[in-house]
Amino acid sequence: MNNLKLFKRQTVNELSTFYSFLIGFIIAIFIGSIILLIQDKSPIDTFSLMLRLSVGSINSLSASLNKAIPLILAGLGISIINSVKLWNIGAEGQIFLGAIAVNFIYINTQINSPSIHIFVLLVAGFVGGSLCILIPAITKVVFGVNEIITTLLTNYIVFGVTIFLINGPWKDPKSLNFPAAAYVGEEVFLPTIIGKLSFGFLICILFTILAHYLKNKSVFGFEMRIAGGSAMTAVYAGINAKQKAFIAMLIGGGFAGLAGAIELLSQTHRVSTGISQGFGYTAIIVAAITGMRPLGIFLVGSLFGALSIGGSVIQTIGVSAYIADIIQASTLFGALIIQFFFTYQIKKVEND
Amino acid sequence: MIDIQLIGLLNATLQAATLLFIAALGELITEKSGILNLGVEGMISIGAVAGFMTAINTENIFLAILIGVLSSSIFASIHALVTVVLKQDQTVSGLILTILGLALSSLLGKNYVGRKLVTKLESVTSISEPTNIVEVLISQNIIFYIAVLLMISTSLILKKTMFGRRLEAVGEDSKSSDSMGLKVAKTQFIATCVGGAFAGLSGVYLTLSYVPYWTDNMTSGRGWIALALVIFGGWKPYRTALGAVLFGFLEALVPRLQTYGFELSPYIVKITPYVITILVLVILTIYKGGKTGAPKNIGVPFFRENR
Repeated sequence: MNNLKLFKRQTVNELSTFYSFLIGFIIAIFIGSIILLIQDKSPIDTFSLMLRLSVGSINSLSASLNKAIPLILAGLGISIINSVKLWNIGAEGQIFLGAIAVNFIYINTQINSPSIHIFVLLVAGFVGGSLCILIPAITKVVFGVNEIITTLLTNYIVFGVTIFLINGPWKDPKSLNFPAAAYVGEEVFLPTIIGKLSFGFLICILFTILAHYLKNKSVFGFEMRIAGGSAMTAVYAGINAKQKAFIAMLIGGGFAGLAGAIELLSQTHRVSTGISQGFGYTAIIVAAITGMRPLGIFLVGSLFGALSIGGSVIQTIGVSAYIADIIQASTLFGALIIQFFFTYQIKKVEND
Repeated sequence: MIDIQLIGLLNATLQAATLLFIAALGELITEKSGILNLGVEGMISIGAVAGFMTAINTENIFLAILIGVLSSSIFASIHALVTVVLKQDQTVSGLILTILGLALSSLLGKNYVGRKLVTKLESVTSISEPTNIVEVLISQNIIFYIAVLLMISTSLILKKTMFGRRLEAVGEDSKSSDSMGLKVAKTQFIATCVGGAFAGLSGVYLTLSYVPYWTDNMTSGRGWIALALVIFGGWKPYRTALGAVLFGFLEALVPRLQTYGFELSPYIVKITPYVITILVLVILTIYKGGKTGAPKNIGVPFFRENR
């Protein structure tokens, strides 16, 4: 009798993550097409319009890359925290608290040099993100409380605080219909590089290299991997696993907080609910799909940024912007399915 | 006068608790088999929108419940396929299930935003404004009684039946279970789909009764609170129900504090359930010192080493 059996492959193709992503993306486009067809929309027209309006000109390309900045930075933060085998589902909240910290420092300080002022505000954003993950980090390393649930819940808490601030203490009386804080002054706007591309993109490149170095080349990165492995190995190696986990979480949260700062200083120019449109959640997909690799996060983050821009522009022809979210999530599901075939082998076995 | 308020509070507590409890009970069953499904929020959302759409289009409330439950269960089978059959990371798959569920339900519900239900899920008796405790208990809608029934039967099934013992064995030690001839993958697959069905029922309760209209992201984190409730309940149905009542009470109490003379910003009121959930998790973890009662194999994909 013949039987199908599963074997774990001895070696996994180095590029398997990339191939899985690519095939996953094709599967996702296919799923997106079916949804469009059900809604009586032509997939080819819709996708070509998305493509044209997201990368077809300098302006649209820079809009796409601007959108990619928070996805990449938050994704890098998630990947750093994952070095110690922990999850950060709280990037959305960290982005908001980063922006809140920027506004708080902006209101309460007086700095004459614009460049120093911007620098201080960016640092404030980073610190805000770290502060946001502080409680989940403490409860994780001290008491062992599940960080997935605590980081997620902080999203709802920080969002509530944002709503409170923009309807209460920070409410801009000039903004009538849309609750928001007052605009920051033009002197602290982040400059643009080419077209509308924000200076934040350069920061993004810098932090991608930084994250790559931190994770893969630095002593701390090595220690993080040990700390995320078996507890005994960490003890033998003399590594304080809890301390590494704590620091990794604060750095990761800071990356997302910086994303919030850049979003405020280059896009919204004020604290509002529009600081993030689910960037923190999309960043989870971006990080997971690349196997937590910083350079991959940069590339996939850029692609997903374009996809989000494409998704928001096709609303004008009556297609829901959620199609972009669905394509992003389906890409990861598709990639997971393909990854199975890279890690396992199905063989026919003769049974006796 | 204060009595009427207390009765109202009790009524609201039970309703909020029902919603949380059903989803938590489903997750409990899934986790008992060793599968962690972080997609509860997405599954509730799918059940909620599917039930609501069916109710609007057919005005048949029981068909709506059925469709809501089935769609969530089918949706959960994606997680079962990816984690049980294809042995991929359960955390990643569950998270994406939540993201996909929220996006898909928003897309499906786009044309239903703001529409009101004509045939809402009503009380099983003719009492619509209960005035005493007995009336509160006999005036809930059908899903409340289903939830009570599910609580009792799940506890019995887990403790007394072969299926329950098998489920527990698989979740505690899948390798030994496999060598004893138990069908690990099949058990886990079923448990995941059952968890999805329960989340769907919770979602249906949300849109057909609790808040009888549809808006984006209306689950507002309840799926995550349900996940916390499973930990709170130590993977035991009755304790999970107790936790649900406690959280339901808080959800019902906080907006009412104003009528009792407390001045609170409504924005701060909204975040209290999440703050309290974190606090409860911390206190519980300190109190139990690591012995949470979690199934030992949770999150670990089962792979039969070839002998």
